[in-house]
Amino acid sequence: MRLEILNRPTQSFARVRLLPGESFVGESGAMVGMTTNIAMAQESAGLIGGLKRVFGGETIFRNTFAAQGSEGEVIFSTPLAGDMEILDVGDKQWCLQNSAYVASSTSVEVASKSGKLKGFFSGAGSFVLGTRGSGYLVLGAFGAIEAIDVQGGMVIDTGHVIAWEASLAYQVEDNSRGVIASWLSGENLVCSFSGTGRAYLQTRNLADYGATVGALLPPRS
Amino acid sequence: MQSEIRHNPDAAIVHFRFEEVGEQVTTEAGAMVGCDSAVEMTTHIQGGLGGALRTKVVRQDSLFKNVFTATAPGQTLSIAPGSEGAIDTAMIDTDKELYLQSTSLLAWTSGVVLDAHSQRGRNIFASRAFLVRAYGRGQIWFSAHGAFHVVEVGKEYDGYVAEAGHLVAFEGGLKLHTRRVAAIKNYFRQGGGHLAELRGEGRLWLQTKNTTSLLHFLHPFRRVGRARE
Repeated sequence: MRLEILNRPTQSFARVRLLPGESFVGESGAMVGMTTNIAMAQESAGLIGGLKRVFGGETIFRNTFAAQGSEGEVIFSTPLAGDMEILDVGDKQWCLQNSAYVASSTSVEVASKSGKLKGFFSGAGSFVLGTRGSGYLVLGAFGAIEAIDVQGGMVIDTGHVIAWEASLAYQVEDNSRGVIASWLSGENLVCSFSGTGRAYLQTRNLADYGATVGALLPPRS
Repeated sequence: MQSEIRHNPDAAIVHFRFEEVGEQVTTEAGAMVGCDSAVEMTTHIQGGLGGALRTKVVRQDSLFKNVFTATAPGQTLSIAPGSEGAIDTAMIDTDKELYLQSTSLLAWTSGVVLDAHSQRGRNIFASRAFLVRAYGRGQIWFSAHGAFHVVEVGKEYDGYVAEAGHLVAFEGGLKLHTRRVAAIKNYFRQGGGHLAELRGEGRLWLQTKNTTSLLHFLHPFRRVGRARE
């Protein structure tokens, strides 16, 4: 299995080359193209897993792409312009915002973090996913990606944080004091990290972009 | 005529430098960025005198094409597409036809003939797009939303499957078969679910982003209009 990100940072896409018998899991809309020897099937998360995904607000359909008979490739991309990143899962486990999920090894379980209702980010229906197992995780960002090594404490806007090491403790909180101050500052919810570990942020924010551009479009009926 | 594509893959532009009087480039309406003031520009209606696009009338497609003709050697012309992304080019010859998604068409030299392709695969694209067949002899330029991923089908791999919204162009040596995957709405977040399978031998161009996805993303952010009284 070979993974690479091409055309970084703005028009990036991930190419996953699979040997016969190998497979990879991808978000249902992320597939751009693939060789004809790839068999695509909906990943069965089981009833409970499926329900967890539904209530997590997560897209229920992830697909498994399996190379049959010969080597094959699958191309994944994100809907908006931005960078992508391949993370190793195993020694380090990761938390990620759902919109950043693109694809992962079949040996990596990516599920919504149960019992972490606080992890629900307000706004664009986003929530936190966590990894288990070992393999690769492919992230997609809106804008460029920056890695930040958190030591002690760090605050990142919820619309900009895409992934962080599970070793970091996090809490979603209001960054300013009082409703008026919060509204005036334009800084609403932030993810407050503490501990030691790496976090990744994206340089653009989906909700801000949508609000900026979408509001200029003619009204929908 | 010389041409150069710059600024791939983010915000590509094509620069032409004419070498002989009478050399012609036809472009989609609105694609011109700049040109020598002495270059002659005429606007043709699709299927009109220029005959550049002999096609059935397709709804909402731009009916106007601009033809730029050099009146002296050394004159220049620059063109660019509307959306962000890359530009690529291909030579067209009697044994080298090209099929393109109509929205990716950018420019072509005078020997290239374009036809709306009435075969299978016509209806797999988003509402405004259709498949165009380019034949004759000359050169054609086309654009992607995002970067290109080029696959040599028949060499690297026996066949390739493209999500229809990401299909830009393929050479005539490839046969297109389309299928719909699972009858579940929003199976693909583009709301499409059409796959284009290409087999044979030839080059295939995919685009890494697609306009429909962007629209689907932006739609919920639009203001809600007042009910009509």
